[in-house]
Amino acid sequence: MITVNSISKAYSRKIAVDINKLHIARGEMLGLVGNNGAGKTTFFRLLLDLVKADRGEILSKEKNVSNSEDWKSYTASYLDDGFLISYLTPEEYFYFIGKLNNRSKADVDEFLKTFEAFFDGSILQSGKYIRDLSKGNQFKVGITSCLLQHPQIIILDEPFANLDPSSQIRLKNMLKDEHEKNCTTIIISSHDLNHITDVCTRILLMEKGIIIKDMQAASDTLRELEEYFQVSTNTISPSATN
Amino acid sequence: MTVLLLSHQWKAFWRSRSTGKSIAIQIFTGFITLYLLSIALFLGFSLPTFLMKFFPGQNIVTVFCGFILYYFALDIVFRFLLQDLPALAVQPYLAQNIKRRELVHFLNLRSLFSFFNLLPLVLFVPFSISAIGHQYGSYTALAFVVVILSLCIFNHFIILFIKRKTGISIGWLVGFFALVVLFILGDYFSVFSLTKISAVLFIALLKMPWLCGVAVLLAIAAFYNNSIFLNNNLYLEEMTKAGRQKESAEYTWLQKFGNTGDLFAIDLKLILRNKRPRSLLLLSFIFLLYGFILYKPGYLNKDQLGFVLLGGIFITGIFIVNYGQFLFAWQSTHFDGLMASNIYIKTYIQSKFVLLTAFSTVALLLSLSYGFINWKIIPIQIAAYFFNVGINIVITAYFATRSYKGLDLSKGATFNYQGIGAVQWLYSLFILIAGAAIYLPFALLINSWAGIIAIGTLGLISFLLRDWWIDILTKQFIQRKYQILQGFREK
Repeated sequence: MITVNSISKAYSRKIAVDINKLHIARGEMLGLVGNNGAGKTTFFRLLLDLVKADRGEILSKEKNVSNSEDWKSYTASYLDDGFLISYLTPEEYFYFIGKLNNRSKADVDEFLKTFEAFFDGSILQSGKYIRDLSKGNQFKVGITSCLLQHPQIIILDEPFANLDPSSQIRLKNMLKDEHEKNCTTIIISSHDLNHITDVCTRILLMEKGIIIKDMQAASDTLRELEEYFQVSTNTISPSATN
Repeated sequence: MTVLLLSHQWKAFWRSRSTGKSIAIQIFTGFITLYLLSIALFLGFSLPTFLMKFFPGQNIVTVFCGFILYYFALDIVFRFLLQDLPALAVQPYLAQNIKRRELVHFLNLRSLFSFFNLLPLVLFVPFSISAIGHQYGSYTALAFVVVILSLCIFNHFIILFIKRKTGISIGWLVGFFALVVLFILGDYFSVFSLTKISAVLFIALLKMPWLCGVAVLLAIAAFYNNSIFLNNNLYLEEMTKAGRQKESAEYTWLQKFGNTGDLFAIDLKLILRNKRPRSLLLLSFIFLLYGFILYKPGYLNKDQLGFVLLGGIFITGIFIVNYGQFLFAWQSTHFDGLMASNIYIKTYIQSKFVLLTAFSTVALLLSLSYGFINWKIIPIQIAAYFFNVGINIVITAYFATRSYKGLDLSKGATFNYQGIGAVQWLYSLFILIAGAAIYLPFALLINSWAGIIAIGTLGLISFLLRDWWIDILTKQFIQRKYQILQGFREK
């Protein structure tokens, strides 16, 4: 589905992402973990052609994402509130995203019905623009708009971070369902090791832009990750915190 | 307490992101303000000389008297458009142990620090003292100064009140504009003359200086009216209007245009639901009245059409210039999302073309009513329209692909330099030069009408080449996409 060929991106000489070779197969559930500044978000932006790579290329279905716009029709993403149109009501935003992906208003309404529990009554008919919603509710709008597109690839940056515990669990189930039903490729990042090892079948551990571990999820993945972060806090913290 | 609150405002001003952003812009704004003030001061001191030159043989004090009310009438309109409401400044203090009366006091005082309150002082006080004091004695001069100060304060507080009212109910807005338009029409068609009314009133003041008490009473009334209104409406919800229920709106008539129509609808909502673009829209409507200044019968009868054409370009093009200078930057806060969602860049550019053309067309249709004054205005207006939709939009979009500064939608439009870089200043100049470069050769070599025909035809040809332009601009956009994205991400 996605092939990364020796891509690198640096911001004022500091390397943000430097990945030599990476292949993501269709239907994989890929989790990115790593401390702040590891390059997770930059990698996502490269995938979505939002930043220019210094060298290398990313192919989505064999096509370079920066030369072709074809990937847009089957990729849904939500990185941060910069993806939401702040002056629309949530409904208007869903209809807009729906229209862009050829889904009628009735279609969208039907789809949103299944999200009633996730929305918890505070998103639809709330009489608010998206900019007036809380951070967590904005995230829910963003995630829902991704699922609404019936995409082949979903990219979410730290989707669990702003959600309340029950919503986190609901989201996990929703992602698993989506994957099971449509064999969707899902790429997410998280700081929550429990959630990400629970959802993902493959975990990439990033440090300073480099993938230092690429592991298939197994029963001891969580322990392995916890060990890494334990060690890295011990060794890195004095110099890294300045 | 008030002093403490004012000192917070002082800090807020100097530490705000838009002020601290670029020292160059600060210096520039400083210079412009200084420049305007010194011009005003110069005008104020040389007013007697000017009046003698322009109105030879007339008593300059009489001429001056006729002018004052005119100034303050214009002042009201400009204040309405440009003066800021300092409402939100009070929000963090509402829950603190500060008396409501003190907060109102602070709001009133704080609002007085405005360019508009400085201007009339610089402009009129020197004249009042020198010319009037010289002829009529110092008491009369003092009365004049008092009247000018009072009118200034009256305008200030009445406009704060009206602006707050219009923010709450649309009826006040319509009423205010209807009144302004009535005044302009009445004066233009000489139903009444503001100049004569002003002359009568102020000449009476020359004879009876105690009449200045009336103006003082007016000012006090306006001040108290505003204070009482504020006192009763000083609640968090009403201030931020967060309590108002937001409705979803679907523009079904746009849906048959596919994704271009959807993007158009998004832009329309952007304009209607955000403060800064909304005030630009309002400004564009005010510019429709520009014709009353530039469409002088003198020019039209003698076929000197340069100014009339300029008026036409302003009227049908002001929205293109105002909105188009930030064509993509308006959406800077969600540009990442737009670029990552299922929208082809060509469709996106196309939607911007459609948007600007639509607004220009509305302006044209409204302004065609100037044809009642003189039929010649109609063809000129149409030529100007084709220049705008054919050439101006292309230039606008081209410059937009080179503008990497984002902006915050929620801030007001006036004296807001956020998102403005060298590109924007260059750009407005460029459009004027482009217009002149087409018009002048024909107008000078043949005649004005040839110039008009040239500008209209070239505009139309360029308009018909639209698809070709869009392809070029799409390529330009794709080349700079990452730079634009990065610029918009830095807030």
